[in-house]
Amino acid sequence: MSEGSKVSTGGGKRRYAMVVDTRRCIGCMACQVACKAEYDTPLGVNRTWVPYKVVGKYPNVKKQFLPRLCNHCEDPPCVRNCPVEATFRVEDGGFVLQRYERCIGCRSCMAACPYNARFMLPSHRTYTPITNVVDKCTFCFHRVTQNLVPACVQTCIGRSRVFGDLNDPNSEVSYLVAKNATQVLRPEEGTKPHVFYIGADRNATEFGRDAYQKREVMEPERSAFKNHFKI
Amino acid sequence: MGDYVWFHDVSWHASYAVYFFVIGILAGLSFISYGSWRTPALRPLREKAAYGSFLLLGVGGLLLIGDLSQPLRFLNILNPAYLNLTSPLAWGALNIVAFGIASVVYILALRKGNEKNGQLLALITALLALGLPIYTGFDLTVHQSRPVWNTPIMPVLFVALAIASGSAVGALLAAGNAEAQKVLREYMLWSAGAVAVMLVSIMGTTNYGGSAAELTFMIMTTGSMGLLFIGVGFLAGSVAPAVMLFAPMGRSPSVVLVSALLILAGSAALRYVLLMAPQQIQTLY
Amino acid sequence: MEMPKVTRRTFLKVSAGSGAAAAAAPRLLTAMENDLGGKDFGPVSGAERKAIPVNCHVCNIQDGAIAYVENDRVVKLEGNPEHVSTRGRLCAKGNSGMWYSYDPDRILYPLKRVGARGEGKWKRITWDEALAELTEKLDAALKEDPNTIMLKYGRNRTGGSIDRFMKTLGSATVVNHTSVCESSKKIGMEPTWGPDIETPDFANAKYVLNFGSNVLEASYFHNPLSQRVTEGRVDNQMKIVTFDVRLSNTAGFSDEWIPVFPATDGAVALAIGHVILREDLQDSDFINNWTNVTVAELKEHYKQYTPEWAAKISGVPVATIERIAREFATTKPATLFTYRGPAKHLYGSYNEKACMMLPIMTGNVEKKGGYCLPRGMGWPQPMPEPGKPAHDSVLAHPPEYPLAAHKVSHLVPFWIAEGRQKINVYFTYQDNPVYTNPGSMAVWGKLFKDEKLIPYLVSMSPFMGEETALADLILPDCPYLERWEPESMPNSLWPWLGIRQPVHKSLGESRENRVLLRDIIHNLDPDGKRGMKQFWDFKDGEDYMRHHFDNVPGLKEAGGLDFLKKHGVWPIYGKLDPKTGKVSDKTGREIKADYGLYLKELSAADMAGATVDGKGIISKNGKAIGVRREGKNCVGFPTGNRLINVRVDQWADYGFNPMPTFKRIPWHEAMKEDELILSTFKLNVHKQSRTAAVKWLAEIAHSNPAWMNPETAAKLGVKTGDLVRVESAVGHLVTKAYVTEGIHPKVVSIPTGFGHWEYGRLATLKLKDKKGEYSHGADDPDLNNVWWDDKGVHPNNIIPVVADPIGGSQGWYDTVVKVTKAGPNDKYGDSEGNWEKHVAAYKETMRYAYTGDLHRKMHPEMAAWAGPDSVKHKAGGGH
Ligand SMILES: Nc1nc2c(c(=O)[nH]1)N[C@H]1C(S)=C(S)[C@@H](COP(=O)(O)OP(=O)(O)OC[C@H]3O[C@@H](n4cnc5c(=O)[nH]c(N)nc54)[C@H](O)[C@@H]3O)O[C@H]1N2
Ligand SMILES: Nc1nc2c(c(=O)[nH]1)N[C@H]1C(S)=C(S)[C@@H](COP(=O)(O)OP(=O)(O)OC[C@H]3O[C@@H](n4cnc5c(=O)[nH]c(N)nc54)[C@H](O)[C@@H]3O)O[C@H]1N2
Ligand code: SF4
Ligand code: SF4
Ligand code: SF4
Ligand code: SF4
Ligand code: SF4
Ligand SMILES: [Mo]
Repeated sequence: MSEGSKVSTGGGKRRYAMVVDTRRCIGCMACQVACKAEYDTPLGVNRTWVPYKVVGKYPNVKKQFLPRLCNHCEDPPCVRNCPVEATFRVEDGGFVLQRYERCIGCRSCMAACPYNARFMLPSHRTYTPITNVVDKCTFCFHRVTQNLVPACVQTCIGRSRVFGDLNDPNSEVSYLVAKNATQVLRPEEGTKPHVFYIGADRNATEFGRDAYQKREVMEPERSAFKNHFKI
Repeated sequence: MGDYVWFHDVSWHASYAVYFFVIGILAGLSFISYGSWRTPALRPLREKAAYGSFLLLGVGGLLLIGDLSQPLRFLNILNPAYLNLTSPLAWGALNIVAFGIASVVYILALRKGNEKNGQLLALITALLALGLPIYTGFDLTVHQSRPVWNTPIMPVLFVALAIASGSAVGALLAAGNAEAQKVLREYMLWSAGAVAVMLVSIMGTTNYGGSAAELTFMIMTTGSMGLLFIGVGFLAGSVAPAVMLFAPMGRSPSVVLVSALLILAGSAALRYVLLMAPQQIQTLY
Repeated sequence: MEMPKVTRRTFLKVSAGSGAAAAAAPRLLTAMENDLGGKDFGPVSGAERKAIPVNCHVCNIQDGAIAYVENDRVVKLEGNPEHVSTRGRLCAKGNSGMWYSYDPDRILYPLKRVGARGEGKWKRITWDEALAELTEKLDAALKEDPNTIMLKYGRNRTGGSIDRFMKTLGSATVVNHTSVCESSKKIGMEPTWGPDIETPDFANAKYVLNFGSNVLEASYFHNPLSQRVTEGRVDNQMKIVTFDVRLSNTAGFSDEWIPVFPATDGAVALAIGHVILREDLQDSDFINNWTNVTVAELKEHYKQYTPEWAAKISGVPVATIERIAREFATTKPATLFTYRGPAKHLYGSYNEKACMMLPIMTGNVEKKGGYCLPRGMGWPQPMPEPGKPAHDSVLAHPPEYPLAAHKVSHLVPFWIAEGRQKINVYFTYQDNPVYTNPGSMAVWGKLFKDEKLIPYLVSMSPFMGEETALADLILPDCPYLERWEPESMPNSLWPWLGIRQPVHKSLGESRENRVLLRDIIHNLDPDGKRGMKQFWDFKDGEDYMRHHFDNVPGLKEAGGLDFLKKHGVWPIYGKLDPKTGKVSDKTGREIKADYGLYLKELSAADMAGATVDGKGIISKNGKAIGVRREGKNCVGFPTGNRLINVRVDQWADYGFNPMPTFKRIPWHEAMKEDELILSTFKLNVHKQSRTAAVKWLAEIAHSNPAWMNPETAAKLGVKTGDLVRVESAVGHLVTKAYVTEGIHPKVVSIPTGFGHWEYGRLATLKLKDKKGEYSHGADDPDLNNVWWDDKGVHPNNIIPVVADPIGGSQGWYDTVVKVTKAGPNDKYGDSEGNWEKHVAAYKETMRYAYTGDLHRKMHPEMAAWAGPDSVKHKAGGGH
């Protein structure tokens, strides 16, 4: 990251945020794949992912999707925990970013993130030379600074993801946050996330007593994953 | 299968637990070396402990560096321009370096037979050594969203584990020296007892700590993790040696040696489970 | 370093706009929102990427896209923001389309089989060798009978070149894949109102009835329509009710999911109609004016379809049917959507017809928020054009299925085996019946391995699909990002024309289809003496495209093909508004659609020389061209009589019920207590047989356990992950169970797209294998990160053929199976189908054809019909 990005613009400071309107999310996975393409993200790791839950009993059953990504926390424990400031917060915009060339790969930030938003880049990648350092969603910093929305927002079929400047009272995100009840993930962590959900079911976003109930459906997949990553 | 499921790798793999183990012994040995200045019975262990501790620093350092995905960048952590003092790892790095320097100076003093500075240097080295289990404990504690880790007891537990495993190694090194073993038996007895007590309180807060913590409790107490944690770590590695050492037969050298072995095995298992189990549930979130 | 250098200036520049807007609070003063695409920058290089507009062809929905190129490699695809339907968005499959081009196992050179068929031994040959060998085979076949040259295609978006090729050869033996796709839906609709599909105006609807369309995952037209579904649902508070046998994402998103017993949607729809008519909630004016029946006739006809009757058959409670009928009829505007759910059954055409009656009888047709006609555009073909082949082909137009205008492709192997038509050369193009058809390996695999029946099999494909693996000669076509093709799809309320254009030079020696076909013809007729070459007189793909596009009125003035090369689509209706995600016109307002197409008035020129009969039908030169209503000369509907034909007289000719009706599937009625119905479905991230090798999609979904209800699972004593044996009349398979609340207790459902035994190393999870002789793509280091170890089990071996006697469609969702806990000898992945048993199923299904012995039994109401002989003289239908 160039030092320039650390410059604060004082009064004109922006605070980017994403609103994820779960009422509009159809679980199409376009966001997830668009993000993979944008960053040549390797298999096994994701900057964004869309888990779902099937809730209810036959025949009253529904599907709930909960798109996930880095929350670009106002108070990010990942940044606090990085020994070398390889991860840092950009004042103007609120992006939490990585300095890949500085990262030593100690994974403290991964352990610190309450949202599992960070991952270690494996040594194999299709064409991008950055490997073996920690990576995560950048809020598409390189696009946003070119006045484009993030890739996942751009392709979002349900228009469930909306991105913009929360400090601008006229922006769509400000409007959505003002007019709707919104939720953030794990507010008790005090991270002040900047991904706001509309209509997110607390059963899906918070640790209910069954939040970690091993779903039998996952087990074969999970053991394959664990085998691969030698967990 | 049938559902789209996303899993996440754990942050730290088992090699980090080995590092914890080594760091613990290293600190414990440092304490013994310092203790030898105050307790004559430990005198024969002074040099051995100091050398051993320094040697383990090398091992631990290599383990730590090897665990980085960018080992060649380990120097970044010492780059003052990069230093981030809110990170326990940064403090830890400073602590390790300071300990290394102090160790070298101390060992030089020992070799020169410099009695006067020796004791002071031993104290400084031991204090810096004390920082190591404390920082590794903190390294876990600061991860606010992880059950078990995020408890204030972690650094204390790591200190107790350091004393226990360091004394155990000391007891093995002092085999045949009844005097030294007597002192080390005390160290082991009280530290293993303290570990056992702390584990009980950890289990309590975990099992009644809300759903994430509860599941962590389940993971820690069942299956192979359960075997390691309850069986090897708690019962065989803490309760059993404490009881054996406390019992009248506890003074016999063979019981001391057996207890030492049990403590070593237990503290290795505990580090592994304490590191890995609280990360498991996160892989699903 | 890897992130772009962001200078203080560029970052501040971005802030300039918002600072000013921030002063005023009202929402009308819009903020400066970030743009929704149209350009792209590398995250590492920071450099702007080259943008080339294309048309997606991962699935058949044809969304407008932009390919972004960096270092001559397509690194990203995104929706074309100038495209009125796509509005800048692509689905998961569209976003990963570059992996067709960069598939490590892509075939890039002509290949000749060296071992036995299907043995997997190949020899790379030159194009000259390949074409010389093929020319020899074609020459011989042409001498015998051009119809012995057969071509079967699947996803044909060549814009006419395949047909031109076969006409040039003089062969009528052209078969498509539509009968395994959605043909009975088409046949349910076409005779009724003309087109083969509807455009539901979801964005403006207040109420939606969805019968078995999984529009939020698949369907026509997933991406564009899903966008409108979420708009309607959230911005317009529309209610959506979905009928499906299992909880698709669409059902899971709907306000109500109503699990129906398979194949009974028609009964439910008829009963809903019954309630509407009984309670007089219909739109009488619309029915009387615009259909060929009266309200009175309709009321009389629907009397028989009581909710009680439907409830018993479908399991949908009477109260639910009545409530939905009232809601649907009284909430305006309302629309309806169906896809393959109701259609893919023995009497699928009847089901579709029954469903489409609902928007018709409530007058929701062509209304804003209603049930609209599709809007498409055409383009001219290059001149001169070859004429029709001299003789028809029984495989293309089987006489037993005269109403099946989209053919009956899945019965073709049996007909070939019976010797109904001799084949010398078989071309397969974008069609993988060995995987995608009923009987898959047991039927098509058997056929393709039989060198007597198929002496020479040519595959034009860049991938080693299951069908290509059995070929004698492989001619590497290009994936869609390397082809020139014209395109248009009615996937929104605005018609458009678009193109595919190559984003880079075709890799290896692959040749795009029109060039490849031209080369075959030029080899056959080097000096033009055979009269074939004249139809293939163009330099390259682009030159061919000029013939299509340089003379389309309106487009011509805009620049013709050059305009399309630049924009990808025409016309451009407006700009994508970053604030709303919708297309706005010059004034900043959302563009409006045209409604009421059938009410458009005929021009004076059209009316010149026209006559109007007593019913108001306007005819000219013996053809109905419109309808006079309330003094206006309207164009009406694109049918023979310009009306909606609720009564399809042509059906009655063949002893089928011309009025909306329902037929229970006899073998469902006879089902035993412990039997289930095997259903299949498509998943949002996969596309037929062809995406299993796309790593990002395979990562999301790579295996396909059998869905079953907890109640069913409890009876079987299985839980998720346990092995189950699924046995049908024609074979059995062993797969894993997935127990979910989201499925009807009498149904077991397995998604398609998994369990490949060919299609490259990723699809088959044989990543450790050495690269084969056939695989010429560049390696992808990322494949070292593949972490999953399950590829699933494909169900088609055990699904027998069923042909709708009207629409000719395959009854995919009709298979009765017995599911049991797997036994000691059952292995995960076992899959066996038996040719003889498949033949028996084929013979059984032919008994329902109008010529078969069960036809009359199924149609007691048509007792007056004079029998098959009364119509045998009629020419085979279809086109
Ligand atoms: N992601 C994706 N999109 C695609 C495709 C793809 O392969 N993948 N393919 C494209 C093509 S070629 C086509 S034809 C379309 C098909 O699109 P759809 O017809 O929407 O999809 P299908 O999965 O074939 O079937 C739809 C639903 O019918 C349900 N069903 C089965 N039996 C019954 C029944 O008796 N009644 C009712 N009401 N429902 C029933 C299934 O459970 C399934 O959810 O999708 C197109 N789009
Ligand atoms: N059980 C079950 N089976 C089904 C369905 C179902 O619902 N259930 N759905 C059915 C439906 S709706 C349909 S439409 C059919 C589709 O069935 P098919 O028409 O067979 O479609 P694909 O599987 O897409 O055909 C893929 C083949 O085309 C070739 N191919 C792929 N890409 C290219 C290319 O770029 N160029 C060329 N020249 N060739 C290419 C490859 O050789 C590949 O094997 O499947 C049907 N099969
Ligand atoms: S892995 Fe990299 S970014 Fe994360 S804490 Fe360590 S040095 Fe910082
Ligand atoms: S979500 Fe996690 S990675 Fe992102 S800023 Fe917050 S703590 Fe850091
Ligand atoms: S904002 Fe960008 S980096 Fe983050 S999830 Fe979306 S596409 Fe990926
Ligand atoms: S692209 Fe949008 S609608 Fe689709 S899964 Fe992602 S957030 Fe949901
Ligand atoms: S629905 Fe997806 S795969 Fe199909 S054309 Fe659209 S973007 Fe492409
Ligand atoms: Mo299809």
